[in-house]
Amino acid sequence: MMPMNERKVKYALALSIILLMGIASTYYFLYNQSVKIRISTTTSLYATGLLDYLYDEFKENHSNVVVQFIAVGSGAALKLAEQGDVDMVFVHAPNLEADYIKRGIITNHTIFAYNYFIIVGPKSDPAHIANLTPIEAMKSIYNSCENGQALFISRGDQSGTHQRELLLWNLSGLNPFNKSWYIETGSGMSETLLVANEKNAYTISDIGTFLKLKGDGRLPNLVKLVDKGKILINIYSAYIVETAKTNSDTQKVIKSLMKFILSDTGQELIGSFGVDKYGQPLFYPAKGHEDELREIWQWFVDLAK
Amino acid sequence: MSFIGEIIEITIRSVTISLSATILSSLWSIPLSLIIARSRSRMTKALMGVLNSLIGFPTVLVGLFLYIIFSSSGPLGGLGILYTPFAIMIGEALLITPLLISLSYEIFSKAYYEYWETSITLGATPAQAFMKLITERFEDIIVVLLIGFSRAIGELGVALMVGGNIRGFTRVFTTTIALEVSKGNFDIALFLGFILLIIVSTTSAIIRIMGGRKSD
Repeated sequence: MMPMNERKVKYALALSIILLMGIASTYYFLYNQSVKIRISTTTSLYATGLLDYLYDEFKENHSNVVVQFIAVGSGAALKLAEQGDVDMVFVHAPNLEADYIKRGIITNHTIFAYNYFIIVGPKSDPAHIANLTPIEAMKSIYNSCENGQALFISRGDQSGTHQRELLLWNLSGLNPFNKSWYIETGSGMSETLLVANEKNAYTISDIGTFLKLKGDGRLPNLVKLVDKGKILINIYSAYIVETAKTNSDTQKVIKSLMKFILSDTGQELIGSFGVDKYGQPLFYPAKGHEDELREIWQWFVDLAK
Repeated sequence: MSFIGEIIEITIRSVTISLSATILSSLWSIPLSLIIARSRSRMTKALMGVLNSLIGFPTVLVGLFLYIIFSSSGPLGGLGILYTPFAIMIGEALLITPLLISLSYEIFSKAYYEYWETSITLGATPAQAFMKLITERFEDIIVVLLIGFSRAIGELGVALMVGGNIRGFTRVFTTTIALEVSKGNFDIALFLGFILLIIVSTTSAIIRIMGGRKSD
């Protein structure tokens, strides 16, 4: 480096401050260019790529709109809504949702997609749960874990999947908490599935994330063992957040985004997403089953009470 | 946007944010460390001890603290900077403050008598003496800033908590790596990690070269 003199140092200081202000104002300018809405979403919708896929289509007709997704567990997604930091939420935890609806934080309940939770486990299936009902499967897993033949991995993060797991334990009348074979990862669905794969353990997953990772060859040791039963239906709902500080522009965008998701185009996109890559849809559109799904949603809320 | 395009974009964004954070932090860290270096009171020495212990402060706690402040329902919610690049910049700037102060304190505590005292004795104003000190130790200060930059660009907690990992807006290296891992795309995550490693090791190579030149 060249020897420094005071003038050069002053230039350097001035230059760096100008640079800083330039960057700040550029971001600020870009930031205020368009109508921006924020959506906190469950990780299973985001990590599969569905939301970016839908958004890219939506953007075709709404080029001045920026939709920002914040992918967290359903519990955290609703918490962000309560804090007023997001304009919409996409979640799949009916009992948590009901609580936030009651408190007036989220409104305009819209069921837009569904799929299934599945119980997955090692190929050898030491608990022999294949083709059992979900509740019987949980009991069988519990017994074989107690005999030291298996492990169970839990999300442990207040996500929609974790809520459903707790409901299943509850309905089975069993209490696995604090058992040495009950492992809480406290992380997302993919990480949890990877842990289950490494440890040859049982876990509960949404079918979308499982199919994606399985299709990518990441889960050689895990297979889908139980996937039938009303109790395993996984309902994805969208809400408008009342506590968000929105203006009329953003409200218009929120309404048209809701409309787009429920439109024929939007629903078709949801139903066809991933078919080319994984051989079957990761999500099913809600269209045509609205009343049925709403009933099941309410059933879950009542069950969890 | 193409895959490569997105990675280039993320690279530029990460470097810009972390560089701005470093410059921003130096605006208060360097004057503060000079004040601490000048002081002889026990209080400031104790303060240095506290600052040194804060160097390893968990980044996710800095993130949580700023989230609470910047949230719509928090004290600075009205500014609307949560989930923007500004929030990450401020968070990283605060995160590296103890590191910058501690490292520049080392420089100033030695150089202080040599340059500051002499300049003042020769009739310089404090502003002139400050400029003299900065000029004489400019290369060392750049090295300190580059170390701060390396720490800023490699942290995850703040970027995730107050940046939100929003595609095309606040998605930086570390948050992209975390996201790709959560998608099970280890190959992409490794590739990104490799680019990050190149940036950080280039930075530290510059630090070494500059450090070496100085002793010539």
